[in-house]
Amino acid sequence: MTLWRISWGYLWNRKLTTCLTVLSVALAVALISSVLTLRAETEDRFVRESQAFDVVVGAKGSPLQLVLSTVYMMDQPVGNIPIAQYKELLADDAYVQAAFPINLGDTYRGFRLVGVERKLMDHSWTDMEGAEERKPFVLDEGRYFDKPFEAVVGAMAARQTGLKIGDTFISTHGLIEMPEGAAAPEHDHAKNPYTVVGILKPSNSPFDRGIYCRLDSVWQAHGGGHGTHGAEEAGDTPDFEEWGLHPEEMVTAVLVQLQSPTQRYEFEGYINNSPMGVMAAIPINQIRNLYDKVLGWVKLVLLAVGYLVVVISALSILIGLYLSILQRRRDLAVMRALGASAYEIFGVVLIEAFWVSLLGILSGWLGGVAVTYALGQFLTYRFGLVVNAFRLSQDQIAAFFIVWIIGIFAGFLPAWQAYDRDVARDLADL
Amino acid sequence: MVRLENCSRRLGPGVTFACPEFHVAPGAQTALWGPSGCGKSTMLNLISGLLRPDSGRVVVDGVDIQDLKEGQLDHFRGAHIGFVFQTFNLLAPFTALQNVLLGMRFSDTVPGREWKNRATLLLERVGLGHRLHSMPQTMSVGEQQRVAIARALANRQKLIVADEPTGSLDPKNSEAVMDLLLEMCAEEKVTLLLVTHERSIAERLPALWDCSDLVKEAAA
Repeated sequence: MTLWRISWGYLWNRKLTTCLTVLSVALAVALISSVLTLRAETEDRFVRESQAFDVVVGAKGSPLQLVLSTVYMMDQPVGNIPIAQYKELLADDAYVQAAFPINLGDTYRGFRLVGVERKLMDHSWTDMEGAEERKPFVLDEGRYFDKPFEAVVGAMAARQTGLKIGDTFISTHGLIEMPEGAAAPEHDHAKNPYTVVGILKPSNSPFDRGIYCRLDSVWQAHGGGHGTHGAEEAGDTPDFEEWGLHPEEMVTAVLVQLQSPTQRYEFEGYINNSPMGVMAAIPINQIRNLYDKVLGWVKLVLLAVGYLVVVISALSILIGLYLSILQRRRDLAVMRALGASAYEIFGVVLIEAFWVSLLGILSGWLGGVAVTYALGQFLTYRFGLVVNAFRLSQDQIAAFFIVWIIGIFAGFLPAWQAYDRDVARDLADL
Repeated sequence: MVRLENCSRRLGPGVTFACPEFHVAPGAQTALWGPSGCGKSTMLNLISGLLRPDSGRVVVDGVDIQDLKEGQLDHFRGAHIGFVFQTFNLLAPFTALQNVLLGMRFSDTVPGREWKNRATLLLERVGLGHRLHSMPQTMSVGEQQRVAIARALANRQKLIVADEPTGSLDPKNSEAVMDLLLEMCAEEKVTLLLVTHERSIAERLPALWDCSDLVKEAAA
C-alpha cells in the first residue's frame, strides 16, 4: 500500500467527481494541443510545399494572393501578364533554371483547371525539410495531355469528382463550387468539353487538387471572347485589353525555378524593380509572413483561451480536492491515528492532484489528436495539405508540463488543509 | 506500560481535564468507565498522543511522549498503539485486506514482505478469511469491527486503545466482538485500554478505572 495506491483509491472512490475534473483539464489540454499541432503542422506543410518553386511572377497586386492562387490553388488569381514576359524570363539563364507559365480560369466542381505546358508535369524539387525529391505530377494511370481539351486530373480532384479515364466534363467559368447534378451557369463552355486522359498519383500537396490541361485549352475554352481569367472576375477591364494584347498572348503567372535558392531575393528585387510591369513573390517568404504576422496573433489568442481554461481547470481541481478533504476528514484522522505523518497526508492529497492533472493531460492530448485529425481531414480536402495529428512537439511538451505544474499546485491548498487538521477533534466529530 | 502523572489539559473555557495519577501494567486489560463527557476519550487521546497535555507527563512503553516531536510521535503511535473505534473507521475505498495493510503501511515494525501474509493471517484469525477482498460497505457491522481489531494488531502493537468498541453493535455482535478483543489481546500479550460507558462491558475486564471525576468545571 503505497501513498500512490492510497491516492488512487480515493480518486476511484469518487469516480464521477474525478472524471469531471479530469474532463475539465482534458478540454483545456485538447484545445492547447490542437492549436499548437495545427499551427505547427500547417505551417510546416505550407512551408514545405512553398519550396516547389523559388519565385512566382504575376500581375501586380497582393504577393500573398499571387502565391496562394498559383502554388496552393487557393484564393482568386491576381490578374494576367503578357506571355512575352515569360519568354523574357526564360531567356534569363543567369537566374532561371526553369519557368512554367500557368493559366488559371475555369473550374470543375470547385477544382481548378490549370493550363500548363507539358514540361511542368516533369517538374521535381527537393524538399529541404525531408531532404527527399518531390514529384507532384507522376501519373497513376493513363497518359499526359497531348491535345487541347485533354485533362490530367490530380489525385484528390479525381477522388472527389469521381472522374475516370475517358470521362468528359464541362468546365465552369471562375471559381464556383458546383454540386453534382446542378445546372451549369450560362457561360459554361459546353462547346468544349474536356476528356480525362490521365490521373495523377497522390502527392500530399495542393497540386492534388488541380486538373491540368494545355495552356491553349484555357484560351480556346473562352474562344478569345473574354481571355484568361483574372481581374475581370471582379468586373475590371480584362487584362489583355489593358495590355493591348490577344488572350493567347497572356498567362496568369509564371512559376520559376532558379539556378539556386540563394538567388531568390536578388531575383525578386530584379523583377520588382524592372520596367516589365509585373511582380515577383517568394512563396516561402509570403507563407512565413502570413504565419508570423497574421496567424501568429490567432495562435496567441487561442493559446490564451487554452490557458484560461487551464486556470479554470486548476480551480476545479482545487475545489474538488478541498471538498473531498472536508468529506473525508475522518479517514485522514484515522490514517494519522494509524501512524501516518502529516507529511504523508499532505503527500496523499498532492498525489491526487498529480493523478488528476496527468490523466487530464493524457486524455486531453488524445482529444487534441482527435480534433486535429478531424480538422486535418478538412484541410486535406480543402487545401490538399496532409496534417500529422500525432505530432508531439517541444511546444506541446512544454505546455503539458505547465498544465501539470498548475494542476499539482492547485492541490497545495487542499493538501495543506489536510496536513493542518486537528486529528483528535476530527476523530471526536465522528 | 502506561503512566500518567499530574496530567492536565484545558478542554474549553473553565473546563479542565485533570488526572493526578494513572498506571497500567504491561499486558493488563483495563476498562475506563464513566458517563458520557467525563473525559474518558480525552484520556485515550492523551495516551495515544493525539492530544498533548498542558502539564504533566504521559509515559507509554517507557517513552515520555512529551519528548517526541510531531513526526516521531506519529511514528511511535503507528508502531506501538492500535486503535479500535466505536464506528470502526474502516477506509471505504479499500478492501478488508487493504485496510489491515494500511495499518502496517505507516510503520516499519513489520517488514514489507510479510505484510500480506500477516494481514491475511489476522483476518483469518478474526474469522474473515473468506472476506479478504470485500469492501467495508458490503460487510456487516460485526464484520467491520473484526477487521478493525485485526488492523489494530497488525503492527504487533503493545497497546490497544478501544473507544466504545461495542457502541454501534447489537448485543449479540457486542458479545462476540468483546470475546474476540479480549482473546486476541491475551494471545498477543497486548495491553488493552477500553473506554465504555456501559458498566456490564467494563466489568468483563479484570480491572476497572472510574473516570467520573476527570473533568473539572471552574465555578463561575
